[in-house]
Amino acid sequence: MDDVLKTAKSCRHYAMCKIDFLGTGLCRAGEEKHFVSFYPQGRMDLYAALAENRIPITEKCVEIAESCDLCGKCDYQCYFVTEMKPTAVMKALKEHIRLHLENGGDVLAAEKDSILDGIKEIVGDDWATNDRAIALTYSHDPCPAAEPRLPDYIAMPGSSAEISAVIQLLNRHGIPYAVRGNGSSVMGFVMSEGAVIDLGRMKAIVFDEKNWLVKVGPGVAAFDLQKAAVKRGFRVNAAEPSALVCANIMCSGIFSTFSASYGTAADNYIDAEFVGHDGSVFRLSDPSAPNLFGFRRTDSALPGICSSASIRLHPVPADEGAAFVPFASLERALDFARECAGRRIGLAIGVLGGEYVSVFLSPTKKLAAEVKDAFRDKLKMEYLVLVIGDKYALHSIKAMGYPYFDNRMIRILNLGLPALTSAKWLDLMDELADDKPFSYLGLAHFPDLAEAALAPSSAQLVGDVDPELRPFFEKLYARPEMTDPVWLNMFRIVSARMGREKHVVAMIIYLPIDHTLIAGIGREFKRIADSHGLKNDFGFITPLDDGKRCVFEYDYYLDQNDPREKIKMRQAMMETGMMIEKFSAATGTVTWIRHVFCQGFSRKESFLYSGAGTGP
Amino acid sequence: MTGIKAGGDEPHLLTGATGFLGSHIMAGLLAEGKRVVIAGRSSSREPLKERIRRLLHWFGMECREGLLEFHEIDFLKPRMGLGRAEYDRLRGRGCPVIHCASDTRFTEKNRAMVMKSNVESLATILDFATASGARWFHFISSAYAAGIDRFACPEAPVHSLRFNNVYEESKALAEDRVAGKCREGKIPYTIIRPAIVYGDSSTGKSLRFNALYFPVRSLQHIRDIYLDEIKNRNGMKAAECGIFINDEGVLHLPIRIFIPHEGKINLVPVNYFTKTILAILEKPENETFYHITSNRPENMTRLASYAERFLEITGIEVVIGAAGADAMKNPPEELFDYFIKAYRPYISDKRDFFRENTDRATGGVLPPDFGYEIFQKCMAFAVAADWGKRLFD
Repeated sequence: MDDVLKTAKSCRHYAMCKIDFLGTGLCRAGEEKHFVSFYPQGRMDLYAALAENRIPITEKCVEIAESCDLCGKCDYQCYFVTEMKPTAVMKALKEHIRLHLENGGDVLAAEKDSILDGIKEIVGDDWATNDRAIALTYSHDPCPAAEPRLPDYIAMPGSSAEISAVIQLLNRHGIPYAVRGNGSSVMGFVMSEGAVIDLGRMKAIVFDEKNWLVKVGPGVAAFDLQKAAVKRGFRVNAAEPSALVCANIMCSGIFSTFSASYGTAADNYIDAEFVGHDGSVFRLSDPSAPNLFGFRRTDSALPGICSSASIRLHPVPADEGAAFVPFASLERALDFARECAGRRIGLAIGVLGGEYVSVFLSPTKKLAAEVKDAFRDKLKMEYLVLVIGDKYALHSIKAMGYPYFDNRMIRILNLGLPALTSAKWLDLMDELADDKPFSYLGLAHFPDLAEAALAPSSAQLVGDVDPELRPFFEKLYARPEMTDPVWLNMFRIVSARMGREKHVVAMIIYLPIDHTLIAGIGREFKRIADSHGLKNDFGFITPLDDGKRCVFEYDYYLDQNDPREKIKMRQAMMETGMMIEKFSAATGTVTWIRHVFCQGFSRKESFLYSGAGTGP
Repeated sequence: MTGIKAGGDEPHLLTGATGFLGSHIMAGLLAEGKRVVIAGRSSSREPLKERIRRLLHWFGMECREGLLEFHEIDFLKPRMGLGRAEYDRLRGRGCPVIHCASDTRFTEKNRAMVMKSNVESLATILDFATASGARWFHFISSAYAAGIDRFACPEAPVHSLRFNNVYEESKALAEDRVAGKCREGKIPYTIIRPAIVYGDSSTGKSLRFNALYFPVRSLQHIRDIYLDEIKNRNGMKAAECGIFINDEGVLHLPIRIFIPHEGKINLVPVNYFTKTILAILEKPENETFYHITSNRPENMTRLASYAERFLEITGIEVVIGAAGADAMKNPPEELFDYFIKAYRPYISDKRDFFRENTDRATGGVLPPDFGYEIFQKCMAFAVAADWGKRLFD
């Protein structure tokens, strides 16, 4: 496999090229045409399929290739997340088509289809297709458990009424369908051999500040909503930046480190509109609407298509800051996180492992690996607890006796990461005989010294970035928000980096913040992944409901192009599921996210305490 | 005091042979052609035998490995973790014991582990010594076990109730247990109390780089931070702290070292320590305490001037008295103060250690004065060994 094809086949489908998270602007064609096929992500899939002779060249194929103006924005976006440069693939795609046309190759015209005509009548000619080049880009994702399914139709409705009409039409013809947001669930949920309904056109964001809510269409991505909210002085509880808000509530209820105070699932919205499977439209606040607040501890189907949601707006304190509190053990980190949640200190709380911290902060894989070692071996920081809060919250942490990295130190540390890995003076910290671990962080002048020692600068941080892209990234990291932990946690643009080295499969459970239980399950996660030779690591833990429960993510990683790893991952996922069910049955307090899928509109209490009344 | 024959050709059983002092005792005995029974532990990365071999190589004594016998032991387990047969065989030999194994951490957070290693686990080795009818039990303690109740410290049991840290306290408790148990079991014993032991005064070689070395290493790293900032960047951070390169090309690094009073730093080189131990082992006196200490201890002002000279810096100032609340004005000063916090009791120590027993054992041989030449030799070795990281390269 040549490098270009390898890049094309390695697209993680995180849809980060569909949001303007770096301020470069979006791919012009994608913004105009909306089908994923016109974004770099779709073109990567398309080129891979053409290079492997999996599809013929169609009319749309030619249009997609020609629509790319090789602006290079996707290189910045994709490199930021995965260190890949898709422009080489875009060029190869254009070249492939050019040669084909020059050699007089056939171009397959779209087939006549009465059902497609019916869909087009509803959504308009431009927003429905059965072209295989488009369909292909909706046919698969990197989930190891999902087999590719090429849909017959792709429809992009523009309103609830159009969604309803499309569903009724599909129902009449007995055509199955899947609903797709940005397709970034990467769990194989958004594929169908019948039709895929892509909601990407419905991007309405309407604020109702008087009622502290914002009504969003199903095509609004978390990043775009947060951006709009922040512009007006608010914040929303947002999922991964490219995840569509409505889809994400439906899928897993939206959880983030801010869930420590904002909650999850039903806590995130005030009302929502649905198009039922029969095409009827209902609102959750309607007393006669189906009850989506409950929870069934089984795999569930979608209750319908969420066509809009009124999302809670939260105030943003003007004196907000972040604290990264280091710990040498998970037990201590959990104690602290639980204490903060129980005392309602901080708005966002997250226990992060070394993998997350190093990967999130580092622009390249190489640096991330070195930083991870430095944190663990030199600084003895196995875990960092992130707390975001106002000045009173941060004062409280200090008063509790925990030294921490504040905003300034985080910026110094982030921009000085390359120097951190080679800093000899850090060895002294390790050998220092001190009763209070990490107490040097409490020294009044430590940031000044760290500044002198680490020489923080965006130029230093991007030292091993691809030389072609380095000037852009140097400017990017000089922007204050790129090293502001509060901004980064609100917009979460670095979280997709956890899939930089390999595609990530997140194992997520809800359970009490009980160290013995968490450590026990963590060991099992590790044992299972290790037994299959899969890379794995602790992800994060965020307290929920005043620290009575938490959400715990443990990550498995696989090379999505390695069939053996896919088999191993499937086996590991099966064993992990059995393990979680075992803990769940034994404790009555552990809930697997698999059961929350499609029930994300429920009350969090319904699944956090789903074992209530069944125990002794 | 009762003079009892030191012992014939039977080997000494030595614990702590992988440590700084223990390894030098081992090397000293081997140099005299004596056999040594090594009772020690493997590390997580290396078996006991390999650890010792690495040390023999470092001492240039690979050829003496044949004089060693190895037993993997664990003081926290019954029969020292040995099988019944091995334990019985070892016990039957009645070897004189040199107990050097110790946890040297100071910090309160490690209290439980330090007490366990230095005090509680003594019962196992003392039981062994009693059961084997050991000819001698030599306990390597510390001059600082004297505590801080009084400044005049005789070569006698400790009566202090106050200590600088858990390490000192554990050694005082351990001495008491050794004396009690040995008397009860009728085992002749000695208590040997070294002060701060640094590298070899003639070669500069050392295996450990804490105590004397740590402040110098701290200064070196702080110096390098600002040198780098001045040379490779704009030097603004340095300038903010009053740090600059003077006309002679020397870095001016203004750091005040606050010590509560002008005390002493009692230093002895490891080669002197070894010679003294061998002399004591040659003619040990029962129930006798030996101070391996210096009669001419150093002071912080002189050491600071040595450090300035060695590191080619100026600006180090020793200030007697507590720093005021607003005294820590510059970042390097604050960091250095933080680094040396744990060592502060030993760099302004008021204690005087008497050493009549040691003088008698050594014929009055004293440790060499700690001049710049020795300082330079030791620090040069430390730097070359990257403060221990490249020790065995």
